[in-house]
Amino acid sequence: MFLAWNEIKKNKLRFALVIGVLFLVSYLVFFLTGLANGLANLNREAVDKWAGDGIMLTEDSDQSLPQSFLSIEDADSIDAETAVLGQLNTIVTSGDLKQGVAIFGIDENEFITPDVSEGELFSDENEVVAADFLQEEGFEIGDTLTLSSSDEELTIVGFTEDARFNAAPVLYASLETFQTVRFGEATEQNADQVNGIVIRADDLSALDAPEDLAIVDTQTFIENLPGYTEQKLTLDFMIYFLFIISATIVAIFLYVLTVQKINMFGVMKAQGISNGYLARSVVAQTFILAAVGVVTGYVLTLVTGLFLPNAVPVQFDGVAMAIYGVVLIAVAILGAIFSVLTIVRIDPLKAIGA
Amino acid sequence: MTVLELKQAKKTFGTGHKKVEALKETNFQAQAGEMIAIIGPSGSGKSTFLTIAGGLQTPSEGDVVINGTSLAKLNEKKLSKVRLNEIGFILQASNLVPFLTVHNQMMLLKKVKKDTLNDQELEELYKDLGIEELRNKYPSDLSGGERQRVAIAKALYTNPSIVLADEPTASLDSERAYEVMELLQKETKSKQTTTLVVTHDTRLIDYCDRVFKMTDGTLREEDHTPKEGTAHE
Ligand SMILES: Nc1ncnc2c1ncn2[C@@H]1O[C@H](COP(=O)(O)OP(=O)(O)OP(=O)(O)O)[C@@H](O)[C@H]1O
Ligand SMILES: [Mg+2]
Repeated sequence: MFLAWNEIKKNKLRFALVIGVLFLVSYLVFFLTGLANGLANLNREAVDKWAGDGIMLTEDSDQSLPQSFLSIEDADSIDAETAVLGQLNTIVTSGDLKQGVAIFGIDENEFITPDVSEGELFSDENEVVAADFLQEEGFEIGDTLTLSSSDEELTIVGFTEDARFNAAPVLYASLETFQTVRFGEATEQNADQVNGIVIRADDLSALDAPEDLAIVDTQTFIENLPGYTEQKLTLDFMIYFLFIISATIVAIFLYVLTVQKINMFGVMKAQGISNGYLARSVVAQTFILAAVGVVTGYVLTLVTGLFLPNAVPVQFDGVAMAIYGVVLIAVAILGAIFSVLTIVRIDPLKAIGA
Repeated sequence: MTVLELKQAKKTFGTGHKKVEALKETNFQAQAGEMIAIIGPSGSGKSTFLTIAGGLQTPSEGDVVINGTSLAKLNEKKLSKVRLNEIGFILQASNLVPFLTVHNQMMLLKKVKKDTLNDQELEELYKDLGIEELRNKYPSDLSGGERQRVAIAKALYTNPSIVLADEPTASLDSERAYEVMELLQKETKSKQTTTLVVTHDTRLIDYCDRVFKMTDGTLREEDHTPKEGTAHE
C-alpha cells in the first residue's frame, strides 16, 4: 500500500486520467444496461403492475390479449382470485396533444385496479385513470380526450405510476366505459365481453380452464407480447458484447500501465524487495483505481438517471449493476495479475544497467 | 572473519566466436571491516565482478559465499532476501524510485526489512551526506550528485554487511567525492562492514585497505600501503 499510495500521490494527474478511463467504461456499461432494461420494461410495466401469476385467454388467440375474447362468467369456473381485463389500443387527442394508448377495462373491485398517485379513481362513466407518462406529456386532470376509434369522449380523473403496455401508456377505465368505447351501438349485446382473465394462484397447473380456453403463466405471456422477445434478445446481446469488450479493454489497459514501469520494479528487485511485496502493491493499486472508477460510474449513472426526462426509458437495476461493477473490478485485478507475472520475470540486472 | 568469498567464479556471455569471458576464474576473499578498491579499464569486467559478488547475477561456474551462505544453492526468492539483508548496492545508474521522496525511499526499505538504522542514526547519515535538506524532494528534483548521495544513504540505511559501490563518486565534484569516500570508510570501520568500491579515480584508493586491478576479466591484487587517517586535507 505504501508504494501504491505514494505513486498515486506523486502522479495525481496521470492517475486521475486512469480513473477517468475506468469511470467512463463503467458509466457506459451501467448506463446502457439501464437503457436496455428500460426499453424492455416499456412492454411489460403494466403486466408487472397487476402482479398476476397467470392469465386465461382463448386457445385460438395464440397467447395474444387483443386476439382473445371471452366472457366475464368464465372467471366463475376458476378456483382462485381473478380479475377481468378488456383491452384495446387507440389514439387519444386533447387540444394539440396526441398519444397512442392502451385502454384497460377493469372491475374496480378486482386487483388490476391501480393505486392512484394523483387525483382519484374513476367512479363515473367515461372517466379514466391515466399512466403518469401522459402527465409528463402535458395531459392534465380534467382533460377531455377524444378517441380515434370512437365518438365517445373520456375524462382524466387521476394518474398512476409505471403503467405501460407494449410501450403504450395505459388508461384504466371501468368495464362499462371500456365496452362503450369498444362496441358503440352494440354495447348491450357484448356487455360481458373481455379479452382476458388475470389469475392469482400459487399453483396455476392445479386450475382447470373451461373448454377452448387456456391458462398462460405471466412469464410466457410477457415473452409473447409482440416484439418483446426479439427486442430483449437484441438488447441482451448488445449488453453482453459491450461488457465483454469493456472488460477486456480494462484488463489490457491495466496490464500496459504496469508493464510501463518494469524498469522501476527491476531497480527495487535489485535491492532485494521481494516479488510478493511488489505484486501486492500492484494489485492494491489496481484495486484502488478500479474501485474508485467503478463506484464513481455507479453513482453518476444513478445521478444522471434523476435528471433524465421520463420519456427516456431507463431503468436501473441496482443489484445487476453491482454485479457488473464487481466483475469490472475483478477483471481489472486480473489484468494487474498478468502484469505481476511480467514483474516476476524481470531481471533486476537489466533494469539497473550495470 | 571472511564475509564475502568467490570460489573459482567465472562468467562468460554468449557462445562460439561471440563468446566473451567477462570474468575469468576468480578466487577472492574479503574480511569484515575491509575497504577494497577495484580499478581497471572500461569493459574489463569490474561491474560483472561486483554484481556477481552481490547476487545480482549468477556465475557461469563456481560459487559465491556470503557470511557462510553459498548462493549457488539459492532460488531467486532466497537470493532476493540475501540482497535485502546483507548487501547495500550503490550502482552506476542511480537506483531511486521516481515517485518516492528521499525520505520515503528509506521508509520503503523500513517496510520490507526489520533491521534498519534507527531514526537518530538516519539523521546522522543524512547530515554526513549533506542531504538533510533534501528529504522531502523527489529524485527528479535532485542534481546527479545529490541523487548519488541519496543512493548511498539508501545502501547504508539497511545496515548491510557488504556494501558494493560501482563508481559511487562518478557524478560528484572532487571535494564531495573525498567526503563520500571518507564516509564509506567511516561506516566500514565503525560497523565492521565489507566495502567494495569500483573506481576510475586512483586518488580515491588512498581510502582503501586493499586495491585490486581488473584486466580483461582477471583480478589481481596490487601492492598498496593504506595511508594513515584521511588522505586528503
Ligand atoms: N549481459 C551481457 N551480455 C554480453 N556481454 C556482456 C554483458 N554484460 C557485460 N558484458 C561484457 O563483459 C565485459 C565486462 O563488462 P563490465 O560491465 O563488467 O565492464 P566494466 O569493467 O564494468 O566497464 P566500465 O568501467 O565501462 O563500467 C564487457 O566486454 C561487456 O561488453
Ligand atoms: Mg561498469
